[in-house]
Amino acid sequence: MEILKQRPSRNPKEVLTFALLVLLSSVTLFTTLGVILSLIGDVAQFFRRVPLLEFLLAPEWTPLFDEPRYGISPLIAGTFLVTFIALLVAVPLGLALAIYLSEYASGPARARIKGTLELFEGIPTVVFGYFALLFVTPLLQRFIPDLNIFNPLSAGLVMGFAIIPYISNVAADAMESVPRSIREAAYALGARPYEVALRVVFPAAISGIIAAIILATSRAIGETMIVAIAAGQRPALTLDPRETIATMTSYIVQAATGDQPTGSTAFYALFAVGFTLFLLTLLLNILAQYVVERYRERYE
Amino acid sequence: MNKTLAQPPQEAFGTDPWKTRIDRTFARALVLPLILSIGLLILLLGDTLYRSVSVQVVRADEGPGKTYPFGLSASEVLKQELLARGYTEEEVKALLQDPTERRVLFLQNRVELMWNTQDGPFRYVVTGLRDERVEDFSLAEGLRRWNELKAGLGEGERLVLNPWLDQSFLTRTPSRSPLTAGIGVAIWGTVWVLSLALLIAIPVGIGTAILLEEYLREGTLNRILEVNLRNLAGVPSIVYGLLGLAIFVRELGLGPTILAAALTLGLLGIPVIVVTSREALRAVPESLRQAAFALGATRRQVVFRVVVPAALPGMVTGVILSAARLIGEAAPLLLVGAAAYVPFFPSGPMSEYTVIPVQIYLWVSMNIPEFARVAAAGILVMLLALSGLYLLALYLRNRFRREW
Repeated sequence: MEILKQRPSRNPKEVLTFALLVLLSSVTLFTTLGVILSLIGDVAQFFRRVPLLEFLLAPEWTPLFDEPRYGISPLIAGTFLVTFIALLVAVPLGLALAIYLSEYASGPARARIKGTLELFEGIPTVVFGYFALLFVTPLLQRFIPDLNIFNPLSAGLVMGFAIIPYISNVAADAMESVPRSIREAAYALGARPYEVALRVVFPAAISGIIAAIILATSRAIGETMIVAIAAGQRPALTLDPRETIATMTSYIVQAATGDQPTGSTAFYALFAVGFTLFLLTLLLNILAQYVVERYRERYE
Repeated sequence: MNKTLAQPPQEAFGTDPWKTRIDRTFARALVLPLILSIGLLILLLGDTLYRSVSVQVVRADEGPGKTYPFGLSASEVLKQELLARGYTEEEVKALLQDPTERRVLFLQNRVELMWNTQDGPFRYVVTGLRDERVEDFSLAEGLRRWNELKAGLGEGERLVLNPWLDQSFLTRTPSRSPLTAGIGVAIWGTVWVLSLALLIAIPVGIGTAILLEEYLREGTLNRILEVNLRNLAGVPSIVYGLLGLAIFVRELGLGPTILAAALTLGLLGIPVIVVTSREALRAVPESLRQAAFALGATRRQVVFRVVVPAALPGMVTGVILSAARLIGEAAPLLLVGAAAYVPFFPSGPMSEYTVIPVQIYLWVSMNIPEFARVAAAGILVMLLALSGLYLLALYLRNRFRREW
C-alpha cells in the first residue's frame, strides 16, 4: 500500500488523466443533483396550488375531475397493498432459497442456481406484467369469482416472484459470511443440519436478512410496469385485493402517457408523486444500510 | 470438508427418528421455492409461445408478378409496378411526389434484385405483404373449429396454422389493426436508443470505476462517490423517467426524441457498469500493479497498459449485461415520449421513436385478444435478443477467463 501513497505526480499527462476521470465520475453526482432539483422545482410549483395537508390527508386522488382533489392516500394505499402481497410471496420463498444456497447446496449447484436466478432478474418486468394480466388473473378468477380484471392480487403475486432473487442473493451472502467455526461448534454439540440452519446461522445473519427484506421492499415499491399493466389505474383507498387500485408508479405512467397540459396542476402532480416515491425508496435504502452497519455482528 | 458439513456421519447423532425425518423434510422444503420459480418461468414461456401461434384465415395476393430490367431506379420500378396494378398515371405521380405516401410505399413494397427470374437473369421484382391476414382465432379455438372454419372459406382464402412472429412481423410498422401490426419500428428504435445510451454510460461508468479502484481508494471524494452511486442504484427507474422528462425533454428542449431517451437510459445504466467494472478491476492481482511500478511506470501507465487490459474481459461482460438490462426498460421511456404511435422508422437522434418493451406495453394495454397475441410475439423477439446477449456474455466470460 505504500506505493499507492506516493507523492502526486506533476506530469501533465498524469494530471490530465486524473482530471478526466474525475470529470467522468462527476456525471453521477450531477445525476443525483438533477433528480433532486428537477423534482423540487416542479414540486414547489405543485404545493403553491395545493395545500400540503390536502396532499397528505385527503382521501381522494382525482386530478382530472371538474373539482380536482389531490390526496395521495389512495396511491400510497395501493402501493403498499401490492407491495405487501409481493413480500408475502417473496420473503418466505426467498429466505428458504437463501438457506438452501448457503447451507445445503454444493459449490457447483450453488453456481448453477444463482445463474438461474440471474435469468429471473434479466427478464424485463413488462413481460411479468403481461403474464400477470393475461395468465394469472384469469387463473385466479376461477377461484375468486368477483376478482376484478385489474387487481393488486395477481400483480402482487407475480411481483413477488420477480423480487425473489433480490432477497435470496443478499440473504445468502449474509448467511455465507457467518464464520464456519460457529457452525462446527454447533455440530460438535450434536445439532442437526436444520437446527444449525435455523437456530445458529439464521440468527447470526439476521441483520443481513433484514436488509435484504428492506431492499426488496424498496424494489417492489418502485416497480412500475407490472402494476401499470396488471393492477389497474383507478385510485381507491381500500385494502381489498380484489378491487382495482392505482399505485404511485402506475399513476405516473398513466399521467405521463395522457394529455396533461404542461404547466397544469395535474402535470405538476406527476412530480409530486414522483418525489414522494423517491423519498420513500431513498429512506428505505438508507434504513437498510443503517441496519447492516448498526447491528452487524462481530465474530472472531 | 463441505460435503462432510452437509452430510455429517450418521453415528455422530443419536438415533432419534423424528429429528432425522424433520431434517429430510426441511431440506426438501428448501428446494420448493426454486421449483416454484422455475415452474413459473416455464409457464410464462409456455403461455407466450401458445399465444404467439394462431389459426388464421389468409387471403393470397397474387400481384402482377412482373419483372423489370436491371439498371432502372427504384422509383421507376415502383412506378411501373403501380401502373401494372391498375393505378392511373395521375395517381402514381401524386403518390410518388408526396413524401409521406412515398415513404409508406417504399416501406410496403421492396424492390429486390433477383439472380434468376422467369424473364431472365438479373432483373428486379417487387415483393411486399403478399398474404394478408383476414381473420384470427386462438390456437385452442381454431383447432377445435378447424373443419367448420375450413368449410366457410371464401374465394382465394386459406386456413393456416400461423405464427405471429414471422419475417414480416420484424419489418412491419405498428398498426391500428392487430392483423398487420409489426415490431420493425420498435426494433430500430431500440437499436438507436441503446447504442446512444451505451455511448454515454460506458465512458462514465468505466471512468468512475477506474477512479474509485485505482486513484481514490480512500478519502472524502471516494466516500461521496460511493454513497452517491449506492443511492442512484436504489432509485426506481420511473424516477429517472421524471428526470428525463423535466431536464432533457423540457429544459433542454429536446422533446420526445431518441436523444432524450438515450440520455435518460444512459444515466440509468451507469451504476450497473460501475459495479461490474469495479469487480473486474478488483480481480486483477495486486502483484501486477506492483511489478509495473517497480519497473518505473507511472500510475497512468500502470492503469491503462497493465490493469485495464487485464480487466477488459470482465468489463466487456459487464457492459453486455448492462445492455441487456437497458433493453427491457420501459418505465422511464414512457415518460420521455416513447408512448406515441410511431409509424415511421427513426432517421436520426432527433427522431420520434418507440422501443420494444414500450410497444409491448401498448399492445397489452389495448385489451384486445389479438393484440395480446401480437404482444406475445413481441415478447418472444425481446427474449430472443436478451438470450443472445446473455449467451454472448457467458461465452466471453469463459473464453477469456484467466488464472492468475
